Amino acid sequence: MRPVFFFLAVGLLFLLSGCYDRIELEEQSYVIGIGIDKADNDEKGLFKITFQIANPEVGSSISSGGSDEDPQQTITVEGSDFITATNTANSIVTKEIVLDHTKVLVISEELARSGDFLRVVQSASRTTQLRRGVQIVVSREDASDFLNNNKPTLETRPHKYYQFMLNRATETGIIPDADVHRFFQITEGDADLFLAIYATTEKIEEKSQGYEDQYIAGQIPQIGSNATQFMGSAVFKEGKMIDVLTGQETRLCLIFDNTIDMDDLLATYPDPIKKGYRIAASFIKKEKTKVDIDYKKNQPSKITVTVPFSLEILAIPSLVDYAENSENQKILRKTITDDINKRAEQLVKKAQQEYRSDPFYWSIYVRKYFRTIKEYEKADWNHDIFPNADVKLDFQLTQIEFGKMLNDSDLDAVRD
Amino acid sequence: MFGLFKRGNSSKEESKRPLYKDLKKNTEEVKKLFSHGVNSDFVYRKVTSNTNKEVSIFFYASIVNSQKIYDGIIKPLFESEKENLRSVIILEDLAESYDFDQVESDINSGKAVIFEENSDRAYAVDVAEFQHRAVEKPENESVVKGPQEAFTESVSVNLSLIRKKIHDKQLIAETVEIGERAKQAVTVMYVSDLVNQDTLKNVRERLNSISVDNVRNIEILEQHIEERPYSIIPTLLYTERSDRAASFLEEGFIVLMMNNSSACLILPVTFWSFFHTPEDRYLRFLFGNFSRIIRFLALIITLFISAVYVAITNYHSEMIPPDLLLAITSARERVPFPGVFEVLLMEISFELIREAGLRIPNPLGPTIGIVGALILGQAAVEANIVSPIIVIIVALSGLSSFAMANISLNYTIRITRFIFIMAASFFGMFSLMGAFLLWLMYLASLKSFGTPFLAPLSPRYPSARDTIFRKTAIKEMLRPGFVKPQDMKKK
Repeated sequence: MRPVFFFLAVGLLFLLSGCYDRIELEEQSYVIGIGIDKADNDEKGLFKITFQIANPEVGSSISSGGSDEDPQQTITVEGSDFITATNTANSIVTKEIVLDHTKVLVISEELARSGDFLRVVQSASRTTQLRRGVQIVVSREDASDFLNNNKPTLETRPHKYYQFMLNRATETGIIPDADVHRFFQITEGDADLFLAIYATTEKIEEKSQGYEDQYIAGQIPQIGSNATQFMGSAVFKEGKMIDVLTGQETRLCLIFDNTIDMDDLLATYPDPIKKGYRIAASFIKKEKTKVDIDYKKNQPSKITVTVPFSLEILAIPSLVDYAENSENQKILRKTITDDINKRAEQLVKKAQQEYRSDPFYWSIYVRKYFRTIKEYEKADWNHDIFPNADVKLDFQLTQIEFGKMLNDSDLDAVRD
Repeated sequence: MFGLFKRGNSSKEESKRPLYKDLKKNTEEVKKLFSHGVNSDFVYRKVTSNTNKEVSIFFYASIVNSQKIYDGIIKPLFESEKENLRSVIILEDLAESYDFDQVESDINSGKAVIFEENSDRAYAVDVAEFQHRAVEKPENESVVKGPQEAFTESVSVNLSLIRKKIHDKQLIAETVEIGERAKQAVTVMYVSDLVNQDTLKNVRERLNSISVDNVRNIEILEQHIEERPYSIIPTLLYTERSDRAASFLEEGFIVLMMNNSSACLILPVTFWSFFHTPEDRYLRFLFGNFSRIIRFLALIITLFISAVYVAITNYHSEMIPPDLLLAITSARERVPFPGVFEVLLMEISFELIREAGLRIPNPLGPTIGIVGALILGQAAVEANIVSPIIVIIVALSGLSSFAMANISLNYTIRITRFIFIMAASFFGMFSLMGAFLLWLMYLASLKSFGTPFLAPLSPRYPSARDTIFRKTAIKEMLRPGFVKPQDMKKK
């Protein structure tokens, strides 16, 4: 081929290919949070969609203008799903709205409980725009109110706020890891319960006696700072919200569930010797929870759950000597194990009787008994196997540590 | 009219003109041939010897050693009692010639030609002393650890540098004459019991088939003997380091040298010969490989960073972490150009600085730095012509390109970079990867004097596996198999 033709061909390539779907970064608006509410007039199939859009000029060191602008723009429009609503929103927002960088999908409790959520979230599985890793947050109030009221003081840029907030809260286990992918996986699997993050920006009556994690969002006594609280989880059964779990119950669920990780579990337990005091400890679970299901057809199945864990004692305000007194230590071990066991049993019982399904994703351990999906579906985990099963929980405290200093201060010697 | 462009073959075909028996006639003829009297440095000297014999001596004063002529020719002629010129002249090289063409070429190559009475032969005495630089440090391929002798513009000096490194009687320096009007000698060096004879034959054939008036130096010779003049990839290695040439010779490669180049050509080559530097070998195993990792990283960065930036910002905004995304977006909001144009603008300015920096006279050198830094750095950003991240990207890709020390590969990489940027602007990552694959396929399909360009990685050959990484010196027991040396084992 002569060079002339070659260059002509290359030149034509430029002209003919054009720039198919090329779009510059500054021609797009990046949505960080999407909120979905029921429409005001209660019309079927119509929703209020809220977009929280990040303002790129805030927080950037090179921007000369725009520093006194808000870090985000929140707008609400009506629509049947959040993809088409982006076009409606373009009557207000100047640039093309893209959902690629969405961090949270906030739905109001009202919508979640109505069961319509499953309809509106369908487009999430169809579009390539919304990532599967987007976290589902159920807000006590309207999602639009949640997104509008949420005014973080330190991380003013919304993407940073959600990133840090959700990461850390998930690490401590007070909220579950609830991405869209998991929602579809569990809902389509037609077994187990999906746990979504529960949050609110409104105060509800404070719970008078609660310990560190026995709250749901809105109940935590708090003075100062942004009023948004993430705590506990919303329980979804077959795509419909049925209940709210406290932070503590959520943590228990995560302990039982091997598919979700949790790193940092600080909690207090009642002091067995000096009543009224509590002992602070870090709950460490290094090994996987062992779930053994002995499936029997037409009979209650047996579920044996073994949770090996260790504790690192962080504080003993009662100053009782547990570290070196083996008698006391024995009592402490027993109390803590019993305490956890008792709470866990309550939760399992609640799941069996009230929810008639489990939020622990245990159905994966029974699947090996079935050769076909049909067989498995017929056995019916949600209605048959789990609610009637005989669940035995076994928390095994393998190791207890007392930190770097064994002795607490001797109160008598200090106060003489 | 085609006759106009036809080379004058007629003179070549003409039979050689023998010398006359008469000294006077010979003298007149040579004087006429070299325009004696007009040509100021052409010297004719008539000497009557001790034995009363007349001789004429011809030479170019500018290319001979005059002391040598005095000591070795003139003085013995006056003092010696002997009749035979062969016994009178005691210099090491004394050749006889019988025709004027030979005389002409002898004088041109710095010999003194002596005619005697009643004889149809002339004596050519080698008294040549062409001017050249001394052996200096390599300027373009510098190393911290390693020898510092670079080639200079004289084959005899260069040969001496190589012979100093390889004490081997099998090291051959063969001379092939090329050019039709002004002949130049190309020195082909090889180790005769290692080199692949087919490759050697191929090289000789290619040298002999060059039909141009004059090939002045190896830089031009390279373009005459390479297989694909339009290719983006070089197929001969150009180096000014004598130690590098020596190490290639010992592996069975062939080295070409010419008198007017302070460098040599090595063939056949692979991608790796361009990628490596001699220092990789001089450094210890770990250190040498570390510097190779860095260089490989630089290769990847310089090829891809601008193109990937174009692809991602134009087509795949979801791939950028939100913080960076918002930072780029806010910077780009005040930039009037599309992203591709922005990148091209800066890349071209960088190339400008590079080109201007090369051509600028030394005293003006610092200007380039100031103007370049100001234009490329601050001012362009402050004037909202480009966004700051572009400056970082172009600076990074420019800096990395300097890590490719070899000038030929350097050009390859720089041109490829522009191809990739263009490709990325069509369909993003998709077309970028397409272009990269095509480029890689082209690389794999190339051959340099019969050696696949990516060997021994692909296709595989027995070798010391000296590719991205090298082994320890003790473990390198094989010569590169892709050269097909006569002896594979090093020990």
